Amino acid sequence: MTNFLTALVLGGFFGFSLNKAGLTKYNKIVNVFRLTDMAVLQFMMTALVVAMSGLFALRGLGLITFPAVPATYIVGNVIGGLIFGVGMALTGF
Amino acid sequence: MSVRVIRVQKVLITEIPNEPKFILNYIRKETWSPYVAGILLGLVGIAAVWISNSLLGASGAFENLAGMVGKWIAPKAFDNMYFNFIMPPGITIGVILLVGVFFGGMIGAATSGTLKWGKKDAANSDNQWKRIFGASTAKRWALAFIGAIILEYAAGIAGGCTSGLAISGGMLLAPAAFLFIAGMFASGIVTALVIYRKNY
Repeated sequence: MTNFLTALVLGGFFGFSLNKAGLTKYNKIVNVFRLTDMAVLQFMMTALVVAMSGLFALRGLGLITFPAVPATYIVGNVIGGLIFGVGMALTGF
Repeated sequence: MSVRVIRVQKVLITEIPNEPKFILNYIRKETWSPYVAGILLGLVGIAAVWISNSLLGASGAFENLAGMVGKWIAPKAFDNMYFNFIMPPGITIGVILLVGVFFGGMIGAATSGTLKWGKKDAANSDNQWKRIFGASTAKRWALAFIGAIILEYAAGIAGGCTSGLAISGGMLLAPAAFLFIAGMFASGIVTALVIYRKNY
């Protein structure tokens, strides 16, 4: 139950940050592919850098252990990414 | 001379941000600096691992739900490797997270006053879309539906979507995430070129 509650709260902040970064808008998502508005990349990369450094620091201090890292299967990841990009540019989600 | 001095002081007083008020006003802004929002998402990603030892993700939840409905309607068709082991059906943490994302986005829109509950324009409100594809709501929804099928299918192949693989995997330095991002941008740019043509 507490697990579900934390998930709800975390999801809430997740959705809030997506909304405030403008990623809930069609034009923001598509314009990153038109190379006219880099907000999506700025947002994603900032999140990556912050989370990355935080997580590796916490692991170094022995406070957390990593959950299962997404599996690497090169063909699947790349082909999945290629199809995903088509859908993303079409819908703007 | 003395008048001038007073004026300068007035400007100074209004420009120094009154801390709580400054933060409140920032929350009410419609669009944040992507860097600030990115820091917030990064902290949420850390919290997810620290508190519940899980990763953020969105696309998996749809598969959990689809698996549940599928097992109920057509148990034979859904009795395969994928739905038994890779994406077990049921109300998972991912599903609850997605509910949170929905309400979080809604709160975000409400704080900036852009929540268009049942207003005339709400179903198709993007000006850029209207300029390129016209004002038809049906067209917007049809394309969104088709595109979403492509998205979900691709996420199934790759093992995650933008949030579940690119961001959550990337912050654990998983090579899969960076392969996925590269593929996503390569085909996204080509698709945008094709559908925008001379408007690109």
